[in-house]
Amino acid sequence: MDFLRPTTLDEALALKAERPGAVPIAGGTDVMVELNFDHRRPEALLDLTGVAELAEWSTSDGQVRLGAGVPYTRVITELGDVLPGLAMASRTVGSPQIRNRGTVGGNLGAASPAGDTHPVLLATGARVEVASVRGGRTIAAEAFYTGVKRNALEPDELITAVHLPPASGAEQFAKVGTRNAMVIAVCSFAVVLRPGYAGVALGSAAPVPRRAAEAERFLVAELPWQTPVPLADSLKRAFAELVAGAADPIDDVRGSAAYRRHALGVLARRALTWAWDDYRNNGGERQCA
Amino acid sequence: MRLNVTVNGEPKQADDVWEGESLLYVLRERLGLPGSKNACEQGECGSCTVYLDGVPVCSCLVAAGQAEGHDVRTVEGLADGDTLDPVQQSFVDAGAVQCGFCTPGLVVAAHDLLHRVPDPSDEEIREALAGNLCRCTGYEKILDAVRNAAATS
Amino acid sequence: MTRTVDGEHLVGQPIDRIDGPAKTTGGARFSAEHAYPGLTHAALVPATVSRGRITAIDTAAAAAVPGVITVLTHGNAPKLNPPKRPTPANLSTLVSGTQVNYLNTDEVHWDGQPVAVVVAETSHAAREAAALVHVSYERLPAVVDFAAEEPNAVAQKGNPVMPGSAKKGDADAALAVAPVTVDARYTTPQHHHNALEPHATTAVWQGDELTVHDSTQSITWLRKHLALRFGVPEAKVRVLAPFVGGGFGGKGFAWPGTIIAVLAARATGRPVRLLLTREDVHRAVGARTPSAQRVALGADTGGRLTALVHTSVTRTSRVGGQPEQVTAPAQHLYDATNIRTAQSQTTLDWMPNTSMRAPGDAIGSFALESAIDELAGELGIDPVELRMRNEPERNPIDGKRFSHRMLREAYALGARRFGWENRSPEPRSTRDGRWLVGMGVATAYHPAMQFTANVTVRLAADGTVTVRCGFQEMGMGNATVQAQIAADALGVPFEAVRVEYGDSALPASVMAGGSMQTSTVAGSVLAACGKLTRRLSTLARRTGMQGRTPTEILTAARVPFIDAAVGSDTRLGALAGQARMLAKVVRDQRTWAKAACGAHFCEVRVDADTGEVRVSRWTAAFDVGRVINRKTAFSQLRGGIVMGIGMALFEEALVDRRTGRIMNPSLSGYHVPVHADVPPIDIACLDEPDPTMPLGILGVGEVGITGVAAAIANAIHHATGSRIRDLPITPDKLVT
Repeated sequence: MDFLRPTTLDEALALKAERPGAVPIAGGTDVMVELNFDHRRPEALLDLTGVAELAEWSTSDGQVRLGAGVPYTRVITELGDVLPGLAMASRTVGSPQIRNRGTVGGNLGAASPAGDTHPVLLATGARVEVASVRGGRTIAAEAFYTGVKRNALEPDELITAVHLPPASGAEQFAKVGTRNAMVIAVCSFAVVLRPGYAGVALGSAAPVPRRAAEAERFLVAELPWQTPVPLADSLKRAFAELVAGAADPIDDVRGSAAYRRHALGVLARRALTWAWDDYRNNGGERQCA
Repeated sequence: MRLNVTVNGEPKQADDVWEGESLLYVLRERLGLPGSKNACEQGECGSCTVYLDGVPVCSCLVAAGQAEGHDVRTVEGLADGDTLDPVQQSFVDAGAVQCGFCTPGLVVAAHDLLHRVPDPSDEEIREALAGNLCRCTGYEKILDAVRNAAATS
Repeated sequence: MTRTVDGEHLVGQPIDRIDGPAKTTGGARFSAEHAYPGLTHAALVPATVSRGRITAIDTAAAAAVPGVITVLTHGNAPKLNPPKRPTPANLSTLVSGTQVNYLNTDEVHWDGQPVAVVVAETSHAAREAAALVHVSYERLPAVVDFAAEEPNAVAQKGNPVMPGSAKKGDADAALAVAPVTVDARYTTPQHHHNALEPHATTAVWQGDELTVHDSTQSITWLRKHLALRFGVPEAKVRVLAPFVGGGFGGKGFAWPGTIIAVLAARATGRPVRLLLTREDVHRAVGARTPSAQRVALGADTGGRLTALVHTSVTRTSRVGGQPEQVTAPAQHLYDATNIRTAQSQTTLDWMPNTSMRAPGDAIGSFALESAIDELAGELGIDPVELRMRNEPERNPIDGKRFSHRMLREAYALGARRFGWENRSPEPRSTRDGRWLVGMGVATAYHPAMQFTANVTVRLAADGTVTVRCGFQEMGMGNATVQAQIAADALGVPFEAVRVEYGDSALPASVMAGGSMQTSTVAGSVLAACGKLTRRLSTLARRTGMQGRTPTEILTAARVPFIDAAVGSDTRLGALAGQARMLAKVVRDQRTWAKAACGAHFCEVRVDADTGEVRVSRWTAAFDVGRVINRKTAFSQLRGGIVMGIGMALFEEALVDRRTGRIMNPSLSGYHVPVHADVPPIDIACLDEPDPTMPLGILGVGEVGITGVAAAIANAIHHATGSRIRDLPITPDKLVT
């Protein structure tokens, strides 16, 4: 095994082109587990922690460009106001030690159905920026997840950043787990409201994280956008049903399919209530479930 | 490969490091510092917590090569000679130690918390230590230890 | 004579543990942390069938991995003596976790049984190679589904220490005519100890001398076992375990890792370290048996129990395992007119079960204490009051006297501290926003025992005291506590006492189990200190130094030190000691019902919509006899409660019922409580010595976990109106 240690993005891309079998590693929270348990013996590791460009974030053209190597802890402390939904999801990732190392880029690279940031990326309409020596492209988050732990990357490509619109309305993330911390989601949910826009997405509820398109259309059509009054229970219930209906969960070690559907409905109802209250009151952070 | 890393203030070198090796393995097996514990190898238990450039991390999830040229501080590097760090002393005083296997990781995590948040609330302590499993003590005395260390430092 | 700064006795003081600095600085060396020149690393290859025969093992690819020294299989491993069948005539035989002669047989008895080991220069090379060993099997029909086998369970044979069944009157007839009844089935899954330290062995042969650093809670018996298996005299084997990273029963026996590490060291002539992965810990170490239980209660309308039936089915293995005293609490807790308990077990192609913190009692108390709560609901009587109405004066099943029983006092104290009187009787009557709030209560009970330990104590003219005893320290604080006891007995300061332990070269002690180590060692330390005191008085009289300090007396007598020994490590002495001990255990069992007990009070909050449960408050009041050191004892009681919280809400080995494989063999799959799951835990102890035990100690290691799961289940019922009888109580059971 080789350990490749690029210091610039160009160098990293050149190495990836040369060695498509090289496994990118940043926070190590997925790759090292596979190495420690001998589930994987790649020909090379491509360490991205030395590439300064990946560890930066910036704002331009009304979008936040979040480098793939920015750890969750920095998302929470530096971007809590700008990307509240992503910060909420980041707070629920593992432990402080994990959040100090783990990155949104790594979450995308691993593409686990239970990854905490996926629902927020989907609901905000984020785009994933990838690059290779052939050039760069962006992929809509919803097109990025292609299967259980599979994504749309070509073998010579690296994830370089995520582009998200800064919050202009309200964003909420919620997840259910048995424990009070160190929780792998039994199911998770995100909702984003902007004037005339609703983003709704689920995690741990299907082979890939997915948007709930029908629920989104429902919100756009039915939310009292013009006269922001508290939501009727009937509306919340109808929304929750659409969200639960969008799920395609399985029975697994963390929960039954039936429970996941039920809990998603609950999360949807709650998160929508919080998001709508925030939206009406022009923001203000809430606790997630 | 050869690895150069500063550990507890001293430059260290390790040879024949396998490229897929963890920083934890390097510390324990190559540098003679087994204070950081190996209990799950997947970032679930926090027993291997060390500072990497001043930030607490699970050393089982850091590839050795990622520590090249960086600064590592382990539980062995907290005391000042025979004088325990106030966090270590308060773990002893509070009875926050039983079998001692989770203790080094907890001490480092608590040490970091108190440097970031000198007077943490109970909620903040529980949250900051959520990634450090303990199967013996029932956690309560660990909370006391951190409270006491905060009060005395 | 200084005892402590305030002149009080040391026994009873919350002294800081003596190994605290070593453990907080990273200085303590655990079994995988001993460096030897030429040290090699081993990795196990687990079987992937539940029952079968190995037809071929292809090790070529594994052997080709750089750094690999050897791959050992049943085809080329050194021959070992098979383990002896467990017999009370030789207690060390109990330490054999299974009857399998690892790497000496082509038979596979459970999914996960090690069938090969790779020894390499690094652990990465060993693990990489282990994954490349290809094993072919002839599969044989395997029985792995506990639930399906339940109807085929057979009655357990009892023994004097652990009765398999018990009967008073005709409980079934009484049940049939009782005006108020509860009759329910309760189930508990397989639990894993998951001590933070995975099992580890460092084995070194020098000629026919073997040194083993092993994470064991049974130094003396492991040494005998290794001597037997490897055909060397016991005197040539040394087992060292001064620091063990938690055990809870999981390190009580010799599991495959230990034997195979020693085997690999012998085969290679090199020191071998074998550190189990967390997956190995789940697949190659015994766990707590699953159980299916029935509790049926009959009462008159005043709440007096007329019938108590408790039956259980547990699981054992074709290659070992042990019965569990699941129904023991039903023999001691309630003054029912008629009682019947019966235990039976299934035999599966599965890893043998083993003791885990309060074996039997932990899961049995879940069923019994849930059922009592159900009965209280049926009767409309407060569950504490119901227990008090049925609190016995004598051991209910046989009328033996209790050596000590302050359960009434524990309930009164706990109820007061917890604020039980504020509980509204109706289930689902308290709501705080989205949270349903409930309070629950349950009894804790764990039998107390005393075995024998050999001890030597030396009192030197410089005033120092050395206590030598091969007991184990997995975190309980025994070294600290025995130093307190010796210092008090000899009238020297705590700091003057050094305790040597964790080494088979020391006088032989008992295994750490059954909450009996502290009392057992204390009995011998006290006896030895008594001998020294008498010797000292003689010297004082002879030298005219009566009333002076030990240093003054010994100096005047020109004696550099005096020694006292209790017990003998000679073969004859050991046999005699064991015979005396067994006789005393049996005699004690006939005379007394001895136990630690207590009352758990808890408050839970259940999310009305998602079913998520948070334990928000806890008070436990215990009668554990005398408390030697509040700091170490309370920590053990709290730890037991937290493990019980895990048992109630999270912990479960998920098994594939077709293949017999554990599907969640990791700490990310098998959830134990984290800091954020645990509420403030208020502990109170009555601190009244038991008159029949050394210093009045009843033991604190296990009683803490008993009753916890029931208290939580009862609180959840009070919060939600839902009665969950199947552990763990996960959110899906509460909302779907």
